[in-house]
Amino acid sequence: MAKKTLIRNRPKNLNLFTIRLPINAVVSILHRMSGMVLFLLIPALIWALQTSLSSESSFDRLGAMFRHWTLKLLLIGFSWPFFHHLYAGLRHLGQDVHWMTTLNKARFSSRIVLVLGACSMLGFAYYIW
Amino acid sequence: MLIELLTKKYPGMRLWLTQRISAVMMVIYLMLMLIMLAIKQPHDYASWLDLMSPWWWRMLSLVFFASLFTHAWLGVRDVFKDYVFNLRLRAVLQVTVDILLIAYLCWVCIILWKL
Repeated sequence: MAKKTLIRNRPKNLNLFTIRLPINAVVSILHRMSGMVLFLLIPALIWALQTSLSSESSFDRLGAMFRHWTLKLLLIGFSWPFFHHLYAGLRHLGQDVHWMTTLNKARFSSRIVLVLGACSMLGFAYYIW
Repeated sequence: MLIELLTKKYPGMRLWLTQRISAVMMVIYLMLMLIMLAIKQPHDYASWLDLMSPWWWRMLSLVFFASLFTHAWLGVRDVFKDYVFNLRLRAVLQVTVDILLIAYLCWVCIILWKL
């Protein structure tokens, strides 16, 4: 009982604008958010796979869709969550085997993840445009 | 040590490892896909079908999608655990996602089977 009241009386700060996230936390929450976005994109991915494989005419239809600028923009936009999730995930795997786990090194690898994600998106945009 | 952590005593460890293994398998498949695209350079329907339809590549694709769905299942489950505090709502959401992912797997199986 005493424990419960203790927890209830704890001070809380849920004003998000007064919390300055460190870069590692930014990479972490973006990893989570990009993961959710990718999860929501799964049906689109399977649909595209099906459409590209089911017949020649549907393949051409899909090709025409992907050549339209609106879908290109969408693809570029969604490529960022993919790249960020990939790089942040690789960073996690590295940390799992105790690679770059000190604070300064973790901050450095966070920066690398953010830069690589942005560069990959730009490279992808250049490639498909 | 590692083996002991993977026994039934520590179910979380196994889920943790499953998340990692599925991630690594997806990365391997994506790299193979890049290599295949670079070698075969599919530019029309016939060459795309030629890339996707060998039985061993279909197997690898199935492994990729199974890994993707397992990875998504564990990831979304963690997100629900962290943010959805109403247990009934969380259970409903989780079952919905489970059913969705199983349906996706069936869908992918049908696509790959028909090739």
